[in-house]
Amino acid sequence: MKIEKRKIYWWNSWSWTSIAILLLVSIPLLTIVFNLFTKPGESWSHLYKNLLAGYFLETFLLLLGVAFFTFVLGVGTAWIVTNFNFPGRKYFEWLLILPLSFPGYIMAYTYVGVLDFTGPLQSFLRNTLQISLDGGALDIMNMPGAIFILSITLFPYVFLISRASFLQQSRTYQEAAAILGKDRWQTFFKVALPLARPAIAGGVALACMEVLNDYGVVKYFGVNTFTTGIFRAWFSLGDATSAIYLAAILLVFVFIILYLESWQRGGKRYSSEVTINRPLLRVDTSLPIKLTFSLIMTVIFLVSFGIPFLQILNWTSMTYEAILSSDFVYLVLRSFGLALISGVVIVIVSIILLYTLRLNPFYKLKYIVKISTLGYAIPGAVIAVGIMIPFLWLDKWLIGLFESRTQLFFTGTLFVMTYAYVVRFLAVGYNPIESGFQKVGIQVNEAGRLLGAGSLKTLWKVDLPLIKSSMISAVLLVFVDVLKELPLTLILRPFNFHTLATKAFDLATNEMIAESANAALVIILTGIFPIIFLNRLIRKREF
Amino acid sequence: MAVLKIEGLDKRYHEADKYAVKDISFSVQEGEILALVGESGSGKTTLLRLIAGLEHPDAGYIELSGDKIVEGHYSLRPNKRKIGLVFQDYALFPHLNILDNVKFGISGPKAERIQKAKEAIALVGLNESDQKYPHQLSGGQQQRVALARAIAPNPKILLMDEPFSNLDAMLKDQVREEIRQIIKKSGVTAIFVTHDTRDALSTADRIAILHRGYLQQIDHPRSLYDTPINPYVANFFGKVNEILAEPVEDGFFTTFGLIKDTRATEFTGKVRIIFRPENADVCPNPQQKLIGNLLKVAYFGDHQMVKIADGKGQFINIKTNNKRLFNGSEYLCFSVDQYEIHPI
Repeated sequence: MKIEKRKIYWWNSWSWTSIAILLLVSIPLLTIVFNLFTKPGESWSHLYKNLLAGYFLETFLLLLGVAFFTFVLGVGTAWIVTNFNFPGRKYFEWLLILPLSFPGYIMAYTYVGVLDFTGPLQSFLRNTLQISLDGGALDIMNMPGAIFILSITLFPYVFLISRASFLQQSRTYQEAAAILGKDRWQTFFKVALPLARPAIAGGVALACMEVLNDYGVVKYFGVNTFTTGIFRAWFSLGDATSAIYLAAILLVFVFIILYLESWQRGGKRYSSEVTINRPLLRVDTSLPIKLTFSLIMTVIFLVSFGIPFLQILNWTSMTYEAILSSDFVYLVLRSFGLALISGVVIVIVSIILLYTLRLNPFYKLKYIVKISTLGYAIPGAVIAVGIMIPFLWLDKWLIGLFESRTQLFFTGTLFVMTYAYVVRFLAVGYNPIESGFQKVGIQVNEAGRLLGAGSLKTLWKVDLPLIKSSMISAVLLVFVDVLKELPLTLILRPFNFHTLATKAFDLATNEMIAESANAALVIILTGIFPIIFLNRLIRKREF
Repeated sequence: MAVLKIEGLDKRYHEADKYAVKDISFSVQEGEILALVGESGSGKTTLLRLIAGLEHPDAGYIELSGDKIVEGHYSLRPNKRKIGLVFQDYALFPHLNILDNVKFGISGPKAERIQKAKEAIALVGLNESDQKYPHQLSGGQQQRVALARAIAPNPKILLMDEPFSNLDAMLKDQVREEIRQIIKKSGVTAIFVTHDTRDALSTADRIAILHRGYLQQIDHPRSLYDTPINPYVANFFGKVNEILAEPVEDGFFTTFGLIKDTRATEFTGKVRIIFRPENADVCPNPQQKLIGNLLKVAYFGDHQMVKIADGKGQFINIKTNNKRLFNGSEYLCFSVDQYEIHPI
């Protein structure tokens, strides 16, 4: 038998494909880092003198405010839902996740509409109760308003993660604390909260990342953060290098949050040593307390989802006749198509990366591959700048090569946009695929290969059929995220090209809020679907 | 002819770690069943994975049917090795039925593949169930499917990872014999990994003992039991006595007295003498009179275990018949069968 030996054991077509993917995915980050060593643009001194301190202060305040309120709202609701019985508890478990389907910018202008002089609240006060408020009383287009909007849209992250963490805590701990003489509140502060701390901090960190990523809310409310700074440098001042400098500083913020998050986890073990994991026992309290809980939950739900959703429905019913045209259908199809393609590409890329790890028991590779999922922590505006610059450079070079053409090859194409989505949302698709592979286990794959099937055939015949549901959920999750995405799309979209998100934002910033509700409604409704799906995934872990 | 030859195999999972296996060399003859025995962490599963090609060694080579399949950085991919592996948890493909599971590794025209798969399924006695899915079978049946799947493509060698560990004690004896029969009937060369010495002694033609990554001894079951090369191997197959001795002209001098042995001249310095409790007896033997202090007698129905001390901190256990009566404490005369002691 002739044997094929010319191979370093881990060097195969899978590993070089993965390395190529890793290089492509890290281009935006590398661009930012390398350009830091060039001279800043001419507007940098102006930015530095007049604006930078403001960017720092407002970004920091916004982060602090949102972190605090998402923590209180998220942990509080999670604790009540997991520990007490009250009317409607089962529904609030998933109703409280719904705000996630609201992109922040849509929530922002919806609330402006709700609280407007002509909006439902003031009209009601004026016409029915004869109370007239002076102009500024309900103005939320400022820093506290931005904190409010971002907190109500982002607290479900903390709610979801802490609820899952509370549910995983064994009843044994509660009982141990009770026997040691602690009441329910002491148990919460001394046992449940410290045990859930790493998870909760992870949730708050996630919310903070979203705050740094946000452009729509802060732009609409006139809050000057680093993201708006990047946009201003890029579009208004036309100064790419300054945009990069700002992006780099924003990156530092991101890495500080990432570092704090991993530091707080320390080397401690928080996983349960108790093997018999009986679920938490929910307490029946007195009726007034039960009703109070129901009331609190109802208010939180109405504020974070119910009222703005009704407002959107109301606007849609007012304007759909004018908006619903073939143009709108195209807009929807275009956005869906883009989101679907990104989802499929991300799933393919994730499978290639994870399958390489599966085939190569080469432990360092694991950490290298993990880098590829960093994109989710990096604000969309930073990724957009980091992608735009190398492609502009490439285009310039190509135009020089073919002198007759003056058209840009890449810049402002859907290809570059999809590429950016892949960089930004790779983690969203990567994680479900990773857990899918983990659940299936490595042995069936090894069995397939030992039975003579090559790595590709084994992937096709054994692994993929077994992770089908993970692949579907990965596509779904990416789909929704791409559909909502605003800052990256605004920077990278082709001229006059709109997605549902940019269209909604465009109409809203041009004082056509009611008209924008149609696109917003499509985004929200598509967002609700996977949220319910996600909730079922977490519920399954309950027992 | 040696089907498998392994030479100087080393493997560490992380650079800072201890070796999982170190300097392992042995070979397996055609049609032989070899058991790799060791405690958990002894490196036996790593060795199996190295042979299968699921891990790559840091040093050494592996030869299969005379071809080097692993050497240096070069490695034949697992799917080209023609090695069958029965996983500990069987790793049956949950989305395929039994026939498709067994058919997976067979190549050739479709009709032929089905034919071969059915033969393999018949060999393990599951003809009735070939349309069922793995989750519809019992643990023992799943294992037989895994065995059929591994044997069906005619592998050069069959590897089995802890084949008996998931079976309850009642089934074990029966399954051991069944599997031995199936392997012998198919004529395949086999290596299996186990931590249970009884599995190894009753099923294997030869046994390799691993301890902390090192191969201790490889031999036929009887030789391992009778002539272990070190105390670890000796202990592995049941209780042994180990006493220090000094070689003198006509035997080994111990704290219990002189054990006559002509081999003593081959040794210098301190020697450890190893013997099993059943190879000594309290009935005095005119050839050897060893004396100790009776410490404890434990009654087991069909035999008694007597613990004897030398007064200087060494103890030995002796298995004796159930009739003899001992009083509380006495000096006891005993002897050791000189052909059954192992000076090391």
